[in-house]
This record gives sequence, C-alpha cells and structure tokens, in this order.
Amino acid sequence: MLAGLLLAPGAADAAPAGFLETIHKHVTLTSSVTDNGDLNPYAVVVAPVSAGKIQKDDVLVDNFNNISNLQGTGTTIVLYRPSTKQTLLFAKLPQTLPQCPGGVGLTTSMTMLKAGWVIVGSTPSRDGTTATKGDGCLIVIDPEGQPVVAWSGAHIIDPWGNMAVKDDGDHATLFISMAGEGLPSPKVIDPKTGLPVVMNKATILRVRLRVPNGKPPEIIDETVVGDGFSQRADLDNFLLGPTGEALAPDGTLYVTDGLDNLITAIPNALDRTDSAGTGRLVTKGGLLSWPLAMVMTPSGRLLACNGKDGRVVEVDPIAGKQIYAQWIDNDQAQSPPGNGDLFGIALTPDGTGFYYVEDDVNALMRASP
Amino acid sequence: MSASDDRARTARTTRRGFLSAAAGVAGAVGVAAEASARTAPGALDGATGKDRVRLAFRGRFQNGVACPVQAHTYFAAFDLISEARADVAALMAVWTAAAERLTAGLPLDHGFVSPKASEPDSGEAAELPANRLTVTFGFGPTLFIKDEHDRYGLAARRPEAFIDLPKFVGDQLVPQRTGGDLCVQAQSDDPQAAFHAVRQLARLAEGVAVIRWVQSGFTPSYDAKITPRNLMGFKDGTLNLAAGDSKAMDRFVWVGEEGGPWMRNGTYMVVRPIRIALEHWDRMKLAFQEQTIGRHKASGAPIGAKDEFAPLDLEAKDKDGNGLIAENAHVRLAAPETNDGAQILRRSYTYDNGVSYVAERWPPWRQGMEFDAGLLFICFQRDPRTGFVKLFERMSKFDMMNQFVTHTGGGLFAIPGGAAPGRYIGQALLEA
Repeated sequence: MLAGLLLAPGAADAAPAGFLETIHKHVTLTSSVTDNGDLNPYAVVVAPVSAGKIQKDDVLVDNFNNISNLQGTGTTIVLYRPSTKQTLLFAKLPQTLPQCPGGVGLTTSMTMLKAGWVIVGSTPSRDGTTATKGDGCLIVIDPEGQPVVAWSGAHIIDPWGNMAVKDDGDHATLFISMAGEGLPSPKVIDPKTGLPVVMNKATILRVRLRVPNGKPPEIIDETVVGDGFSQRADLDNFLLGPTGEALAPDGTLYVTDGLDNLITAIPNALDRTDSAGTGRLVTKGGLLSWPLAMVMTPSGRLLACNGKDGRVVEVDPIAGKQIYAQWIDNDQAQSPPGNGDLFGIALTPDGTGFYYVEDDVNALMRASP
Repeated sequence: MSASDDRARTARTTRRGFLSAAAGVAGAVGVAAEASARTAPGALDGATGKDRVRLAFRGRFQNGVACPVQAHTYFAAFDLISEARADVAALMAVWTAAAERLTAGLPLDHGFVSPKASEPDSGEAAELPANRLTVTFGFGPTLFIKDEHDRYGLAARRPEAFIDLPKFVGDQLVPQRTGGDLCVQAQSDDPQAAFHAVRQLARLAEGVAVIRWVQSGFTPSYDAKITPRNLMGFKDGTLNLAAGDSKAMDRFVWVGEEGGPWMRNGTYMVVRPIRIALEHWDRMKLAFQEQTIGRHKASGAPIGAKDEFAPLDLEAKDKDGNGLIAENAHVRLAAPETNDGAQILRRSYTYDNGVSYVAERWPPWRQGMEFDAGLLFICFQRDPRTGFVKLFERMSKFDMMNQFVTHTGGGLFAIPGGAAPGRYIGQALLEA
C-alpha cells in the first residue's frame, strides 16, 4: 500500500529537526510471497557482507504464515537485491527440524552475522493460534540457505521480536525478546477485560556467541537482561509481547512493549549480569499505538512501527520525547489506516532511509528522502 | 446384476444414444443452414431489420469473442467422461449444429436426440428471439493431458502458448469451480435464451460430457456510449482493446499460424469468477476507493484529470515525488505502459450468486453472511503468457484492489477459430 506522507505534530513540543521529516518517497520493492505460498512478512534484515547466495546490502525478509495464511507456519526467507531489483528465495526450511520439535514458524527475530550466518527465530503453531503453539527455537542458516543448527532451551523459548545485535566478527551479542511462554489459547479470556489473559512472563534474552572461523556460531552464554514484560495470545495477531529491540552505542537496550504501549530502556545491556526487569520507562502512549519493531537512526533516534495504525514514530530516547510520526502505510482498508500492517523495519545501508514490510499486501517497502 | 454391470450398461446405452444424435447432425446442419440463410452474413456485424436479434454463427472467428457485449452470459465448463476421441468429435459436431440453430432463434428439432430427454428441445425459448445469442466453444488443457494421461492422443497438438495457468498470489480457487475439458459460453440480451442454449447442449452431451461448473452473469443496460460500471461503482472498460480495430485484434487477440492449423483464427480465453467483498468496499471513503482504482469514481477520469478518456499520466508526481496515481493503483498495474505493451480483450460480466458465509482474507478479516457477488472476469488474447499471465502476475501481488477481491475459480480455454459451412468447431484438431 502506497504510503502517504503525513506528519503528525509532536504531542506538546514544537517539533525539532528529526529523521522522519527527511523521508518523502515510499516505494514498493517486492512481494514476500514465495512459490509455496508463504506470506505475511515479518523480519527485515540488511546483509552486512556478501556470502554464499547473499550479496552485501541485500534485504532478507522472512514469512510468518504459510499458504493457508495460518500464523506460525511460514518457513521461507526471501532476498531482495537492490542492485538488480531481483527477488530470490534464500531459504525454504522444513516444517519440522529435529532441534525445533514444535515445528517452524519464522518470526521477526532475524539477523545476519558478518561471518555470513543467518540466525532466525521460530515461534511455531499448527493451527495459526497459540492453542497449538509449539516450543520455539533459534535456527542458524548457512549463507547458501541451509539450516545447520538450531538452539532451544530454558531461555530460548519463543524468539519473537526483532533482534538487536552487536557483531564483532568472531564474537557477537544478540538481544531477542521471548514472548509466548506458557500462553494459553486465545479463547482463554480474562473476565475483567473480555480479552485473552495477559501474563507478565515475557523476557529479553542476551545471547553471546563465539563465531569460529568457517564454522557455525556457538553459544557462550545466555542471560535474561529484562523480564516481566506483558504478553498475551490474540486470535488475529497470534501473540502480543515485546517486539522491538534497538541497541544504543552506549550499551542501552531499548525495548517496545506493545501491550502496555510504551518503550523502556535496559541500561548496560551488553555487560549486566542480572535482569533489569522491564527497565526504565522512556515514553508511553502519545503517538505510540502498540509499538512493534524498532531501529535506531545514525543520530540516535528511535523509529518504532505502530501495530495498531500505519505510523512509524520517532522518539528521542535521551529526552524521553516523541518527536513526531509519519504514516508509512495509510491503507484505509483497515481502520485506523494501516492497522495490523507494519512489523519489521531496518535502516538502509546509507542510513538515510529505511526498509519496512506491509503485511496487508505482503510487500517490502523502502522509505527514502 | 451388480452395480458395476448396471453402470456399464448405462454407459453403453447413453453412448449409443449420443452417437445416434451425432448421426443426425447432417440433417440438423441442413435445418440450421436454412435458418442461417435468413441471418445476415458476416460473423459479427449481424443482422438488420427483422433479423436484428440474430448474429451469424459461422465465420472466420467464433462469434462470441468480439461482438458487442450482450446483456447476459451463461458460462459452463464440462468434464469429458468418454475416453474415445470419436465421441468428443461427435459431440463437437452436434454442438456446432445445435449452436447454429439456437443462435438463429430456432429450437432444436428431431435431428437432435438427447439420450434421455423426451423432446429434442426443452421448450423454454419457443418463440423467444435469440436476442443476439452467441455460443462460443473452448477446449481446456485437460483435453490434451489429464493426470499425465493423453486420453485422446492430442497432447502433441497442444500449442506452446496453451499453458497451464500458474498459481497466482492470493488465488483461492475452488476445485469444483475451476478447469474443465470443454467450455461453452452462451451470451444473449435475454437471460433465458442464454440459459436455454447451455441447457440444450448439456442434454446433448449426456454420456460423453458432464457439467463441471457454471456461472451466469449480467451487464447493466447503459446507453452504448456510456462505459458500464461494475459493482464497485467504477466505470469498467475505459481502456479496453477496441474489438473493431482489426489490426489490434490480429496483434493481441487472434491466433495466427503459431498455434497450428486448428487454432488459426482462434484465441485463448481466461475466465475467473472474482468475488468482491462489497461490504468491506462500501465502508471505504470515496477518496480511498479512487486511490485504489486510480480513477475518479463519478467521471471515470484518471486521478487528477477531468475526462474519462484523458490519457493515464503515470509520470505525474505529487509534491513528495510519489505518483499522483498511486504506485499500486489498479489502473497503473493494468496499463499497457507498465506491462511492456501487453493488452487483452476484456469481456467481463457482473455475477450475483446470492449470499454465502464468508471469511474475508484481508484485515479486518470479517466473517459472516455476505454477498457472493463480483466480476465474472473474461478476457481473450493471442497468447496467455504475454496476455493475462503477464498482466496478472504483478497485479496479483501488488494491486491495492486485492484487498477487496478474491479469485475463486476459473480456467484457461483454447477457443478454436470459427466453423466454415459443413464443418464443426474443433474439427481440425479432433480429426487431423
């Protein structure tokens, strides 16, 4: 859906210069739908290097749904090559993997390491709801698109939100939100709200990796650096929980919490040895409307995609202020426009724009000056 | 007697009955020729004076492709149940003869024997003018290969262009409303004349072919100078290929030598029932409806223009440099300019199948009793690979309208050229 530029003024302050006001063009790049019918694009990752099938600056997009449009069943990753405008299938994983006993359903958790390995999260289902949700896993894929190893366990339960990554080549640190542990069927309703029950069990996991030369990465350790985040099942959206993570140069990890409609900060995330709980509140409400995936701009602003409308919101995390928002999906077929359409987001390599997905039309988009 | 014996006997009986109908073809042709003599010559420009409601059946092309669109259509796809090519040939012979009579406004007479029917004609069109009835026949890919089996020894004659349609993004094709070995398109300005034609042909097919699926449709009775509106409320067909432009028709619609002798002067028909989520569409604001289509609703003019026939300015930009006609607007994606010049001849109808329980496949995923209505999309082209497939491959992915429409069935059919006097449709294929 073509986005229309519409700047909403800041809630209280006169708008200072920011990133979003430089963004004017919104272009559809490709469809994420694959030959096997997978759809519903979630994660967006820009390749940092060339390796195997992948060229540097290619855009990887995974699909959460299969041809039946059941959530938690997508197994494919497509690759868009900006230099040639080609779209290729990067990986088509089996519906089941030995180390992912619950099945495979690829989520917003995805990254590509400088060593060429792609790591993607899975939070699977059999019927598109959490009633049949299986245990999730993290799958390591080689640059040719073949899965080589998968991780699951006590902390790696349902990798859900977009990864924040610090990649030093032979070592890397991943931050991944885990949402979904113990979630019942969306038909289990909280009588107080009339909605599926909310559980404060979602976590932010830090996974430190060793990346031996020419070999798949290995886990050094896993640390829960945030916990107590809200999560609940949802019939239309599978599950709701913390979905956006962005790592600031100073080591602060910013997290979106869609259910509570806020962004928090976990200080010292690279080094801390304990959980910061849900962290320090950065901003809440306002232009935010169920924030999902999030990135940090080169100047240190946060861009958070709204789940309940088609806006991306720019936040100054130091000042704790929302600057403004831009409608990047104004599809009025939903109400409010773009409701339920946005998910993943990633900066373009030159840092002047961003890639994002529109679930309503299964498209990868580019926003640029 | 076992059940299987019973079925075998029934099959033999119906086959004999059918063949006797085929044996009567010569006589039927004679009668039809008599009626045809009263029909103005020329395949399409038809008739004047008292014959104004008749269109000539025989000619270089089949008559239901390029003639001005009638008010009603009745489309039927058939599965062949006989394994003998001679039965298929005999069926096409008797169908051709019957169609010639029906399009002349004459009932079937005793030259036509339906195996189980008590009378040669069911009678509901007695004294009813044909009302520009055309009957058009087509062959499905499964006539050539079905379940990897070349039942009739025809696989070698399947033209390269006669592909199996690929699966398109968003297709929700119901098998029971998809495909078919043969098809019949009956179109008339009278709905009963169209239905009557298919009904007679189905009777004549007994023992050889059975109906697989049908879909009726209608067009609104606008003045001929006004582009008709579809159920979305927009003018539909402003940029259609002009059927009177013989150069364009030769280039984009009629098959030349490339399809082999039997497809010379033929064409390929894509038919797709497309359900429209009318309830969802009706909740959309006018400006958004117009953005989706890429035209203004009232005038039919491209966004930013005043006149319906103003050229589509696909380069026009807004102040941010985004297209004035939205990037994924229906008209942009369908325009020849964005499709390497590809064009097709559209001949679509509105359909209305009442209401049914529907789970919409787009947000907000509404469920409930909804109109089962939409567009019976019909188009003709010289090569589906450079026609419908080329156009729809991108539209199926990106068209904003996809949020309101779902393709629920259909198929691709080869429409052979018209039949010369004394010959039947498809004869060059089935007897070669």
